[in-house]
Amino acid sequence: MADPILVVAEQREGKLNRVSLETLAAAQAIGKDAGWPVEVVLPGYQTTALAHELAGYKVEKVYDLEAASLGAYTSDAYVDALKQLISAQQPKLVLFPHTYQVRDFAPRLALALDRTLISDTIGYKYENGKLLFTRQMFQGKFVADVAFAGETPWLATLQIGTYRADQAETGSAPVETVEAAQPPALRITPHEVFQEAKQAVDLSQAEIIVAIGRGIKEQKNVALAEDLAKALGGEVAASRPICDNGWLPLERQIGSSGQTVAPKLYIALGISGAIQHIVGMKGARTIVAINKDVEAPIFEIADYGVVGNLFDVVPALTEEIKKAKA
Amino acid sequence: MIHFRQPIQGIERPQMEADVVIIGGGPAGMACALRLSQLIDAHNDKLALMASPLPPISKENIYVLEKAREAGQHCLSGALLDPRSMRELLPGFESEAPIDAEVTKESVYFLTEKGHHKLPIVPPPLRDHGNYVISINKFVKWMAAKVEAAGITVFTGFAGSEMLFDEDGVAGVRTDDKGVDKEGNPKANFEPGYDLRSKITILAEGARGSCSKQLIERFQLEDPEHAQTYGVGVKELWEVPAGRVAKGEVIYTLGYPLTGQEYGGAWIYGISDTLLSVGYVVGLDYQDPRIDPHHVFQSFKQHALARSLLEGGKMIRYGAKSLPYGGWLTMPKLAGKGWMILGDSASMLNSQRLKGIHLAIKSGMLAAETAFESMLVGDNSSVALSGYQSRVDGSWIKEELYPVRNFHQGFEHGLLPGLVHSGVQQVLGGRNLGADFKNQAGYLNMRHLDAIGRSTYGREATLGPAKSDGKLTFDKLTDVYHSGTRHDDDQPVHLVIRDTGICNDRCVKEFGNPCQHFCPAAVYEMVDAQIHINFANCVHCKTCDIMDPYQIITWVPPEGGGGPNYDGM
Repeated sequence: MADPILVVAEQREGKLNRVSLETLAAAQAIGKDAGWPVEVVLPGYQTTALAHELAGYKVEKVYDLEAASLGAYTSDAYVDALKQLISAQQPKLVLFPHTYQVRDFAPRLALALDRTLISDTIGYKYENGKLLFTRQMFQGKFVADVAFAGETPWLATLQIGTYRADQAETGSAPVETVEAAQPPALRITPHEVFQEAKQAVDLSQAEIIVAIGRGIKEQKNVALAEDLAKALGGEVAASRPICDNGWLPLERQIGSSGQTVAPKLYIALGISGAIQHIVGMKGARTIVAINKDVEAPIFEIADYGVVGNLFDVVPALTEEIKKAKA
Repeated sequence: MIHFRQPIQGIERPQMEADVVIIGGGPAGMACALRLSQLIDAHNDKLALMASPLPPISKENIYVLEKAREAGQHCLSGALLDPRSMRELLPGFESEAPIDAEVTKESVYFLTEKGHHKLPIVPPPLRDHGNYVISINKFVKWMAAKVEAAGITVFTGFAGSEMLFDEDGVAGVRTDDKGVDKEGNPKANFEPGYDLRSKITILAEGARGSCSKQLIERFQLEDPEHAQTYGVGVKELWEVPAGRVAKGEVIYTLGYPLTGQEYGGAWIYGISDTLLSVGYVVGLDYQDPRIDPHHVFQSFKQHALARSLLEGGKMIRYGAKSLPYGGWLTMPKLAGKGWMILGDSASMLNSQRLKGIHLAIKSGMLAAETAFESMLVGDNSSVALSGYQSRVDGSWIKEELYPVRNFHQGFEHGLLPGLVHSGVQQVLGGRNLGADFKNQAGYLNMRHLDAIGRSTYGREATLGPAKSDGKLTFDKLTDVYHSGTRHDDDQPVHLVIRDTGICNDRCVKEFGNPCQHFCPAAVYEMVDAQIHINFANCVHCKTCDIMDPYQIITWVPPEGGGGPNYDGM
């Protein structure tokens, strides 16, 4: 069959990645315009059932590309297996969804095949027998139509959301199982898949916030605030100078250039209360300010104010709260 | 050697060919783009009419770079517009441009601490009948829409970060890298800057542009005996009860809170019956390192004359920006191979009339005419582009600026000698009794603390941080908040200090770290005897780059899109 388009579908943990169907819809559209048949390949290990799911769409053929090494994802194994299939079948065009996985292996695959890859496209044009892909430049302020200069197979990835999965036309197609030869040696050993712990704190959800400003003086004194926050069951936050110094991460900055919060209780330690900070926390229900400068603007919006040395007040406060909670 | 921020090394930057790149989308840059588009359209129409086989000239590869998120957001001025150049660029522009008022009344006052004296006649250069009160922000936005409608691409959020040179000229400009963290490492959203390889690069960055600074240094375009001299304007927009200042009324003041030793003055423009533009310009050639231009402005507002107009009103926006004062004598060479320089970047400002927008626009138009000719013949050589210089010399820019060439320089030794000089010049058609004045860069006038001593010399109302009442007067941080300035915190500091040891060890003794005072945005701070740079407060006025007495601060553009938000200013 002449000039097929090969869609590389993606699966993970027994499930088809739905964006594969978006790419399939794109391939069907290009196929209609250019008169090229559409085929699909699903790389994986023991994923025949998913390949049959893909066979329910209007395509010529589904390759169930099988190898034990494709069980857990590595770019080495994917590049090796897909290279074998693409070299054997010589499709005109290989289309991928622009997923994280594809971003990882598609450039290597293009290099291994010595072919051209156009990445992250947002559409195509088929004009006078010439296929152009559209991609964004200058952070989306500009779009450019680009054409393949080299020989086929051409490779292109499609931005997620360019087509809708429900645009993919259904049909029925045969499934051909292809065993990929074992790759020579994998340079990468996959370990267990894990979800990265959510690092960014969501201060907007915190009910109690202990915030520190320049009055805290030294990095080691941040512990005072942490102790108080712990005793109260709250989160620690800061005004800009503290995050500027790297004493707390940027995600804990409150104010016009940081987060906006509205906790039940906001304790401001050594924060003078410049408007840049106030706009980020003025919605707090109860504001307690501890500052040695009686003129500090923070006292204008505080419900409770302590004019005093925070190094005396805070440890005593923490102690009392611990006692009360015990 | 200018000390630039270390660019990210060892990465491949996308290369783009361009015909013309204009750095800076202010009035000069936008006028340049518009005029160029007009000339190309007229040329293409003619070709079509004659059924010429020659291909039409394309505008596709003409770009305007603008570091602000949106066109006009970094533009700040009083502003009064002399409509002369706009009438040439777009005849009848008044019917569609955003103009607030036509000037109906002007007065000039000399202020003392407790009183004011109205000048019996308004000096001719300050007669503003026929000029318009505008918001330069709104005006430039309107121009930008025209430019885009004409088919020229305006890249907002992209700064010209570095000039690209070839052997004898300019080869283009590099845009800013996006997504670089504090330490200068790429973040997940890193995107390298583009190398725009342009046949013609037009610098229209405003006063003390960073690319212009690089260009001027590389080709030694500035004459040290006629160094550019600057002022910094600090402005607030006020909503006031009706009946204070009429729409279209213009008030200028001289004197208090500055003493006879400093150059500067205030303006109040009636934008509408209830909206005032209020500001103060301080010449950046003062002697006392303790002077704080923001404080000067706050003290001015407390003077009975200003207080009576503002009290009970509300400050709604703040901004600050430097302007070039030097005029004709400090103009750099205007063009060379592959480059032209215009507007405030090229000293196109009449300091006697306190106006530059019309000159910026005119210079943009003249550069466009030169660029168009160069595109026609495919010649971007120094000789071809020097046509711009001849055009300026043959235009009313010279007619206007040459006769007042000695005006600002005459004030170098204070207000009184300045007024005498300016009177003599008025009589002699711009000449002095002797040769033209020479002048050195303004920061060289700054004196050591030792030489100043402990006296305040009547400058109490100008020294150190201002006290604020939160109603009529504001501290710097509150004002900065009202500038709407924003920068991503996780990016390299864009105020590059060559050696902070000089700040912490030498400057602290010699000048008392005047950066804390002259910066109108509280960027510089001494924390535990160490210089600390709150770069996120920066409003892009460039005062530090100009006034730093050791010339060790270089202002470079932060990540594009960052900076003030001068809506309606």
